Amino acid sequence: MLRQRLWTPLSSAVLRRALSSTIEFSAGAQSRSRFSPCSDNSRLFFLPSGRPDFLGKFQFSGKNFLSSQTALNLDAKCWNCNAAAEAALFLFCPSCRCIQPVDQSVDYFQIFGLEKKYNVEDDNLEGKYKNWQKKLHPDLVHSKSEKEREYAAEQSARVIDAYRTLSKPLSRAIYIMKLEGVNVDEEETISDFEFLTEMMEIREAVEEAADSQALNQIRSEMQEKVKNWSDLFANAFQNRNFGEAVKATRRMTYYERAIEEIVKKL
Amino acid sequence: MLRLTSKRILQGIASREARSPAVQVLQRQYHERVIDHFNNPRNVGSFDKNDPDVGTGLVGAPACGDVMKLQIKVDESTGQIVDARFKTFGCGSAIASSSLATEWVKGKQMEEVLTIKNSDIAKHLSLPPVKLHCSMLAEDAIKAAVKDYEAKRGKPIEAKDA
Repeated sequence: MLRQRLWTPLSSAVLRRALSSTIEFSAGAQSRSRFSPCSDNSRLFFLPSGRPDFLGKFQFSGKNFLSSQTALNLDAKCWNCNAAAEAALFLFCPSCRCIQPVDQSVDYFQIFGLEKKYNVEDDNLEGKYKNWQKKLHPDLVHSKSEKEREYAAEQSARVIDAYRTLSKPLSRAIYIMKLEGVNVDEEETISDFEFLTEMMEIREAVEEAADSQALNQIRSEMQEKVKNWSDLFANAFQNRNFGEAVKATRRMTYYERAIEEIVKKL
Repeated sequence: MLRLTSKRILQGIASREARSPAVQVLQRQYHERVIDHFNNPRNVGSFDKNDPDVGTGLVGAPACGDVMKLQIKVDESTGQIVDARFKTFGCGSAIASSSLATEWVKGKQMEEVLTIKNSDIAKHLSLPPVKLHCSMLAEDAIKAAVKDYEAKRGKPIEAKDA
């Protein structure tokens, strides 16, 4: 259901606005030949053929508004950039309004212009997400080349994925571990007797809960536990104690599952 | 009491499935054996953990937050598993796997049940690839139960085909 909502066709007003500035550009490679090669200090590359096949880090632009720090090696510096500009580099070119192919080395935090740490506070994640979709949504490019339509589909899907992963603490935790090269192996059986006994009791309590008040009581306990383990995760991760961090994510998974069951019952 | 527990568990799961059309479609794809174990689970319940004849295996799958408890009651003189109980919080495949496991261990020697492989369980229930970890969980639960019993008894048990 969520997927449907996120993928709704953009309203015609938005489309008109987005497309009006592209009127002068025809689809395809010819338009790109209008851009002069970029000036030196911006260190940008230019491909006459319009093949954006070098990982999307580079940009077609006749304008020189990009500062040098946002050019080639962005990983170390993108945290300081203005989110809109640096994001535009990776995914979308504002000058020729062409969607770039997905660059897998750009991680989800970069897409939303966030620092790569677990406790990111972002009030405007949804706003940024919608702004992205206004540029990347496949509906905007249905009249463009097949390649660009493909890029639009991939970029759009990636942004959706990024949004979903980052907006929930548990998925964010697992993702940030993955970025560090630690795969929280979810297939492995765990046999921590005490913890599992506790979970058994909690799940039994949920099954046997008499009314919604009892369920809500359990739910708030669970939420508190999730919060505690979330803080523990943040700590462990910061100290690079990945063993503890994995343990924390596992705990969080179990408590979240219990919350899910409660919600279903309510 | 047993019926109540299983009924409660089933109610929880049944109402869940009623709410989600996607899962209803999935239900058509569950193998009939899984559905059978789900509707008529065998050996739901618990033994007393502290009973010296009882081995308790408690395992969890972090991917889905499932918890599975499998208990065996062993005849000390013969080393044969005379009874088994299970309690599982998880998906239909997990419940079916553990239910099947309790059926299979009954009447067998402890060394024998250590050779029960998750692939046998999965094959019997025709589990799809995405649910293979449920059968793995059941295999681990059996091993954990045997291990617990032998820890209580203080003597190790080697896997041995009958």
